[in-house]
Amino acid sequence: MRVSMSWLTELVDVGVPARELAERLDMTGTAVEAVHETGESLDGVVVGHILTRERHPEADKLWVTTVDVGDGTLRTIVCGAQNFDAGDKVPVALPGAVLPGGLEIKKAKLRGVVSEGMNCSARELGIGEDHEGLMILPPDAPVGVPFAEWYGAGDTVLELEITPNRPDCLSMAGVAREVGAVLGVPAKVPASQPVESGEEAAAACSVTITDADLCPRYAARIIRGVKVAPSPAWLADKVAAAGARPINNVVDVTNYVMFELGQPLHAFDLDKLAADSNGRVAITVRTARSGETLRTLDGVDRQLRSDTLLICDSSGPVALAGVMGGESTEVSETTVDVLLESACFDPASISRTSRSLGLVSEASMRFERTVDRTGCVAALDRAAALIAEVAGGQVAPGVVDEYPAPLQPRLLTLRLARVRGVLGIDLGAEEVAGILRSLGCDVEMGPESLQVTVPSFRPDIEREIDLIEEVLRIWGMERVEPTLPGGRGRIGMLTREQSLRERIGDVMRACGLNETMTYAFGDPRDPERCCMPFAEGELPVELLNPMSTEQAVLRRSLLPGLLASVSYNQRRGVSDVHLYEMGSVFWTSEGRKQPKERTMLAGVLAGAWHPPAWNAPAVPLDFFDGKGVIENLFRELAIPKLRVRACDAGHLQPGRAAEVLAGGEVLGWLGEVHPAVLERFEAHAPVVAFELDVRALVRLAADARPFVEPPRHPAVELDLAIVVDESVTAEEVERAIRSAGGKLLAETHLFDVYRGNGVEMGKKSLAFALEYRVPDRTLTAQEVESAHERLVRKVTTSVGGTLRS
Amino acid sequence: MGVTEELLAAQAEGLAAIEQAADLAALAAVRVAYLGKKGTLTAVLRGLGGLSAEERPAVGKVANEVRAALEAALAKRHEALSSAALEARLASEAVDVTLPGRAHPIGSRHLISRITAQVVEIFLGLGYRVAEGPEVELDYYNFTALNTPPDHPARSLADTFYVRDLSGDEAAVSGESDVLLRTQTSPVQVRTMEREKPPIYVLSPGRVYRRDIADPSHLPQFTQIEGLVVDEGITFADLKGTLDHFVHRMFGPDRKTRFRPHFFPFTEPSAEVDVSCGICDGAGCRFCKNSGWLEILGCGMVDPNVFGHVGIDSERYTGFAFGMGVERIAALKYNVPDLRMLVEGDMRFLRQF
Ligand SMILES: [Zn+2]
Repeated sequence: MRVSMSWLTELVDVGVPARELAERLDMTGTAVEAVHETGESLDGVVVGHILTRERHPEADKLWVTTVDVGDGTLRTIVCGAQNFDAGDKVPVALPGAVLPGGLEIKKAKLRGVVSEGMNCSARELGIGEDHEGLMILPPDAPVGVPFAEWYGAGDTVLELEITPNRPDCLSMAGVAREVGAVLGVPAKVPASQPVESGEEAAAACSVTITDADLCPRYAARIIRGVKVAPSPAWLADKVAAAGARPINNVVDVTNYVMFELGQPLHAFDLDKLAADSNGRVAITVRTARSGETLRTLDGVDRQLRSDTLLICDSSGPVALAGVMGGESTEVSETTVDVLLESACFDPASISRTSRSLGLVSEASMRFERTVDRTGCVAALDRAAALIAEVAGGQVAPGVVDEYPAPLQPRLLTLRLARVRGVLGIDLGAEEVAGILRSLGCDVEMGPESLQVTVPSFRPDIEREIDLIEEVLRIWGMERVEPTLPGGRGRIGMLTREQSLRERIGDVMRACGLNETMTYAFGDPRDPERCCMPFAEGELPVELLNPMSTEQAVLRRSLLPGLLASVSYNQRRGVSDVHLYEMGSVFWTSEGRKQPKERTMLAGVLAGAWHPPAWNAPAVPLDFFDGKGVIENLFRELAIPKLRVRACDAGHLQPGRAAEVLAGGEVLGWLGEVHPAVLERFEAHAPVVAFELDVRALVRLAADARPFVEPPRHPAVELDLAIVVDESVTAEEVERAIRSAGGKLLAETHLFDVYRGNGVEMGKKSLAFALEYRVPDRTLTAQEVESAHERLVRKVTTSVGGTLRS
Repeated sequence: MGVTEELLAAQAEGLAAIEQAADLAALAAVRVAYLGKKGTLTAVLRGLGGLSAEERPAVGKVANEVRAALEAALAKRHEALSSAALEARLASEAVDVTLPGRAHPIGSRHLISRITAQVVEIFLGLGYRVAEGPEVELDYYNFTALNTPPDHPARSLADTFYVRDLSGDEAAVSGESDVLLRTQTSPVQVRTMEREKPPIYVLSPGRVYRRDIADPSHLPQFTQIEGLVVDEGITFADLKGTLDHFVHRMFGPDRKTRFRPHFFPFTEPSAEVDVSCGICDGAGCRFCKNSGWLEILGCGMVDPNVFGHVGIDSERYTGFAFGMGVERIAALKYNVPDLRMLVEGDMRFLRQF
């Protein structure tokens, strides 16, 4: 909402500079988005007279104009606006002028024609919102005079953000009232009573409302014999200052009163409305019938929906109620008699019509947020009086006022104890009453509470809490002394799952992985691109209104997002990539409402842990670096029995693909991503990746591992190198060693895998370090020797291997 | 030459040899040459047997003195030589300490989760717990129960992501659905109030979604932290005190807060909270668009209608709620110029934090 300070001061004695007012409004709930100074920086802008207007030879949309700017030289100015004619007076920016937006005007060639300046719109001059056309000045504007001088001294315009609960502030009178309450000064409500003469309005028109819920009030006046012409300067200025384009005196008055009082008005050309044999127009407010259409003011033929509320005459629709008038009954230069409408419509109905037609107007925007129906006639009177003043004509006696649903005044009780209980401040009854009265409430004092009658223009005040909010807002949030909630035995702590998730992140970072976040959106083609099909019965979660086809579903795996990040890094020359993400994946199934979500942990590793260093070569990352991360994770979460089992998975390179298991349960997968998949993501192999189910990790995690006493007696260490078929896994050999070692074998670990010289093709040598030890004594050499011999025999037999010689 | 003279000669000779021993090996050789089994001194002493009983004690005394003198000289020389040897070895092992170390790189935490953890820690200290909920929510929890009118613009297809509902239920508004990506973490608060009785002190951090095109200052997916308190005797003053505390812990004790009345459907009274600009200290600069203030939070007293939806007696209990965007805090604290950096996974960006 644009509020001109000069207009505002006509309605309320502001008494403080605009900047300070802006600050006060900000602190009482009316956000000031911007403060504009107009008319200041308009040096070089003068009133010009367009003498000729010709099509640009090279461009359909451009005009070449000849403009007189009063200095004796006619100028050629190229112009893209369509709303003007030869003979119009407009603001002209001459070369050298700098407009409020910072645009510097220069002599320039536009499609081959030299333009010696610019014809300006109101927006380009920072004095209005209108940018659809040039600012057309009244014919009496003096050519060559500096525009700022003619337009008036600079004004300050506040751009207010009006929250949806404050429809009353969508008018100058409403803003003035709010400013009055904030500053503690009275505000004026502009009103006029027209001088009536001639035939009764009721003789010229009747009004029928078919549904009082959709149209609680419809009032009309008749004004005969108007002379439609451009508005006088004061009116055009006001309308422009509020952000609308001046059109003609009748339409400008309807806009002016709407901006002033918040009541949208519509003027019909009475003679274009269908009348009965007595010359009487029967206005009906009803919803559309099937197949009805209406050409609106903007020249568009509208298909009407059955819930669209219409203003009709006996021939059919003449206006979209509360949204836009029809073209055929619009006020034009030939209009003589006017039917002026001041009505009130159901906010939800207007909102639906406006949304479904994609048509937002100043009127619809106000009706959507509720217009005070008690003010219809006052606005009608004011507008009728002003039309008579600026366009001549006689206002017919009487108002045709159909008011089937009068607004009942709302009476609320405000308990002073409740004010204290909610706000934590002590206010006296007088102080509270004073604030509410300044906002237009009637207040009756009681010992413990106030009886408050809410003014009709505040539909948002429905409950006690709404009054409390008003009190706080005006009294000042800043004045409330901060306190902390009293303590009553509460403990802040994370749940087990939350703290374990923190720990999982700690382990990932300790292992060298960097946390990242990718989009939860996924490409519907991802399962195919990754060869990670949905499980039987699972379906992707589909967005009805995605931002793009690449983000049309929710992800089922974290892998695609992470691979995109690997590619992002590699394409920028960052080859060492270590990332992890903990985030949700989603799927659904037939008949399901809310999809399933699961938190997953995934990681990707590419390149090496670090670039080549002076004392450490860069070692390319492979499967086992990923496995090491998972081993650390299981260790830290105290999950016993990690197993990694070779598997077939489409997204992983065959032979470097595994499932991660604990206690027989599959928690996820680990492997090197299949080169074909990487190619689709423009990433270079190898990329090691894993993805684990966080909920399962949390479930299996132990709070602590049991204590085991560190050994007191020395161990005897022996090595065992065994040659086995390639198909025999290290796990199998280790398991055989452990089972054969019995109680004497305390530890075993694989320290070498060897293929090549001395080992037959198709076989490999696995070397284990064995530690023999018992807790209670030192083993004798003989005991160890015989145990080791027995172990070697058993192991070689069970895995079909031989000792490496 | 008598035995005594022989001993003294051997001593003089031995001391000279010890002095001349250049290294520990030479010194060991000297020891063997004089004190060893076949050494000079040993040979002389072996000759003692031929002496008379009267001569023996005197010669024996000299012999012991010679041995002691040689031992002492050996020990002294040994110490000198070994410390020289150690020094030489240490000198040879000196390194350039400015060479880089050999560290296994550790990973960094994402800026957003780092800030989230910081906020969580502050509120854990105030006795809050952390509540979580689904990211794909029902319309009821995201809007209706939060007092959002049916035709509120936030519900439009232009602002909220809707998800195909496979249950076969008809959506209230055509083209929309009862299932959506939550636009705030407030549904978690509603679910918490449905599940638990007051006192409630919870913080709900989480990912939320709004239909914004990704650009330097918007992401269609971002992170929100909301707080909710429901208890007896909770006032707007408590809300102010709580957020003041938070701002001081998060941004520093010198930063000021400012509460501006605002409108939100689920709280009343509602406010927007600004923190004084850390760059200009409130004087106004480009960073704060000359206002001296940066907007960081929305908050208010829980609307009685919201309590009505979850069956909490709004006469007995009052409460407050607040919410903040973590990406915004990140942008303010670290001056991140483009929020899209947060979702690209660029190692060079992630490694900075
Ligand atoms: Zn600043």
